[in-house]
Parts: sequence; structure tokens; C-alpha cells
Amino acid sequence: MMEYVAYALVVFVVLTGIATALLRDVLAAIIVFAAYSLGMALLYTLLLAPDVGLTEAVIGAGVTTILLLLTIVKTVRPGGERTIERFDSRAAVACGALAVVFGLTLPDLPAVGDPNSPILSYDAVTGHYLTQSYAETGVENTVTAVLAAYRGFDTFGEATVVFAAGVAVLVVLQREVFT
Amino acid sequence: MSDADEGSETPPETPADDEDVDAEPETFPSPRRAYTESEVIMSTVRVVTPFVLTFGLYITFHGADSPGGGFQGGALVGVVVLMLAFAFGIDPTRRWLGTKAVTLVASLGLLVFATIGLGSVVLGGAFLEYGLYPLEDAAKYGIEAVEIGGIALIVAGVIMGLFFLTAAGPGGDVE
Amino acid sequence: MIELLATRWAYAAFILLMVTGIYMMIANANLVKKVIGLNLFQSAVFLFFIASAYVADGSVPIVHSEGGGGPYVSPLPHVIVLTAIVVGVSLTAVALALIVRIYGEYGTLDEAVLREVSDD
Repeated sequence: MMEYVAYALVVFVVLTGIATALLRDVLAAIIVFAAYSLGMALLYTLLLAPDVGLTEAVIGAGVTTILLLLTIVKTVRPGGERTIERFDSRAAVACGALAVVFGLTLPDLPAVGDPNSPILSYDAVTGHYLTQSYAETGVENTVTAVLAAYRGFDTFGEATVVFAAGVAVLVVLQREVFT
Repeated sequence: MSDADEGSETPPETPADDEDVDAEPETFPSPRRAYTESEVIMSTVRVVTPFVLTFGLYITFHGADSPGGGFQGGALVGVVVLMLAFAFGIDPTRRWLGTKAVTLVASLGLLVFATIGLGSVVLGGAFLEYGLYPLEDAAKYGIEAVEIGGIALIVAGVIMGLFFLTAAGPGGDVE
Repeated sequence: MIELLATRWAYAAFILLMVTGIYMMIANANLVKKVIGLNLFQSAVFLFFIASAYVADGSVPIVHSEGGGGPYVSPLPHVIVLTAIVVGVSLTAVALALIVRIYGEYGTLDEAVLREVSDD
């Protein structure tokens, strides 16, 4: 039963992704992109990643859409008559070749959900985090434990990148205060 | 924080910049209802905002035992201010926030994270080694402090700041 | 072929979405749509990571204090994707600020016009 929901979500996500590429109007592309982000958030939750689904729903479907809409308010929304974007055949051939090259590796990848795949059966890393994280850190959510304790330096780097992005936008827009 | 010689918080300015005249001018004999951009947005935001704020704080505080954590909760709290800006207008919300609040929130978050991380280096160990702090269950308290006091504040502050900056557009000497 | 797609559906979706994102970045002339293509490409890569960590009939990686429980999903790709989503929105914000500045300077967001104007 769950596989059919997953297949339906994947078809929805791929269709909205292709629609985002083909629509000419920027506002329409942004709105379809918001629907795509919501579909991706649901797909992540269906693949048993609720933290990532929450983050994608808030930041992907929320903040990115708001920032894109603010940008076209501040700049221009190009008018025109056509609904579908003009098709660039050279770029399509290049992207198709890239898709074929990636597709040739598909038979070598493990099946989705295989419990014997190399990520899950490597006990020294994944098994250690799953079995020892409550004893060593006292939190039950292993993703939080890995994020804030075992790989805390990466999280510090990422917090610095977020802050640096705020400062960079200040510098680019030549302002001195955030508000 | 407000102007020292005036009692009101918002200095009276001509309503020529946008149509959101939210402050009540003293010249009118009777208080007017504030002009709103859209009734639907205002009613929806009035109903939904307390729940979103509570949910964001819940996700932040319970990040250790259930799905969630600092990123999700901080982003939700930042988005609450964005929703208020949609309903009441961007300029009145900008005046309400003041010039220092957003910078303070974002910088405080980074400072807390750096202090907790480098504090263990000062105590003689590695970066973010919770075991060196003289509390029992230091790892759990350290993780909670880093998530709530560090990451959530940074993400909330920067999301608010990015929204108001992008809405303001280029400043300085660009005409 | 069909059962290859049925067992590796997430990876096939990843390839399609990644190629669509790259096509948007190359072929669309509007700068804002290039940024949208970048975000499409990024979330396709996140799908690849999350799908590689998935265990069929597993459970969410929240280990209760008594221990035990069924096969858990691996938490490490989730951490990588969490960090990457937030870094991605920072990147998008700076790119959009640059676009606003470019529009203020040149008055257009079309890549071909910008290329001609900046070659002078």
C-alpha cells in the first residue's frame, strides 16, 4: 500500500519538476516550484526522514518561495504571450547524454530499501551511532545526537555559513542594518 | 530604544510611502481602524500565528526526543514574523522590530554556539567535548543548549533579516 | 527493465530531476529561473541521499531508552541533508540579492542582453 503512495508522489514530483522547467512565466514557475517542494517534503517523510521533511517543508516550500517572490517584486516579471518556454535543443541533447551516463550506473546501485546495502550493514559507523548514542549522549533522537555531538563541528560551520549569508546580503545590498 | 523626546514609538511621518497607515495620528478626532491589505490574510494570520509559534517552540524544545530540533523550530519562529509582515504590512513590522532586535538575535545565537564549543578547548580538550564541563549529564545539557540557544536563534534571526533586506532592495548610493 | 525501475525508483527520479535542474540552469535565459533550476538540482541530490538511507519496513531513527526496536534507518545521510538544505537557502538568498543588484544596475534580467551589455 505504501509503495503506491510513494509511486504516486514520485510521479507528482517529476511532473511538477518538468512543469517548472517548461513554463515561461516566472511567477507560474515559482508557484509550481512551491508545489514541487511540498511534494518533496512528503516524499522525504514517506522515506522515514521526518526531520528532513520538516526542514524541507519550512525552508524549501516556505522561505525559498517567499524570497523568490520578493525578488520578482523588486525586479521585473517579464511579460509575453507564450505559455511554454522555448525549447533549446543543444542543451537538451547535453542533458540527455548526462542522463544516459547516470542511468548506466542504475543496475549497480542497491535496491531502495535493501537492508544489506553498504551504508546500513557497516556496523562500525551506523551501528555504533544507532546503539551507543543514548548511552553516550542521553538524547533519543539519533539525528540530533549526530548533528550536535558527534559531528558538531560541521554544524558550527553551517551556523557560520548561515550568519555569513546574512552579512553577505547586507554587503551586496549596501545596507547597514537588517531591518 | 525609541526617540527620547516623543512619547509614541512610531515617529509621525507622511503616509506617502505606502498605503499602510497603521499608526493613529493625533489629529483625527476618533480612532480609525487600521487599513489592511487584505481581509483574508489578516483574519487567517490572526488565527494561525499563535499556533505556528507554539508549534515552532515545541519542535525546538523537544528536538532531543522526537523529530525536530533547532533548524526546524528556528525557521518556524522566523516565519511567524514573516506572516505578521504579510498581514500588517512590511514597513509597520519593520518599525515595530526596530533596528537592533534581529541583529541581536542572530549574533547571540552564534556567540552561544561558539562559547560552548570553544569553552571545552579552553578547558583543555577538543572542540565541543561536552564531557569536560563540570555537570552531570553534560552531553544532554550541552546538546540542548547548542540546539535551542545556538542554532534556533541564528536561523530565526537570519531568516527575518533576509526577508526584510530583500524586501527593502538596494540601499546606499544606488538611485 | 521494468523491475529495474520498480526497485530503484528513487534513483531514476533523482536522475530525471537533476537533469531537469541542469537544463533549467543552462537553457533558460532569465536569471531567476536559473536560481530555481539550482534549487531543483539540489533537492534531487537530497532525494538520492535520503533514498540511500532507507530500509524497507524500518523505523524512524529515534532509539528509545530501553533499546531494541526494529531495523532503523541510517541517520547519517539525514544529517548531511539537513545541513545542506540550510546552506542551500543561504546560497539562494545571496544569489537573489545579487540579482536584485544586477537589475538595479542594468535594468534587465535576461542573460543574453546582459552578456552584450557587459562586453562593451
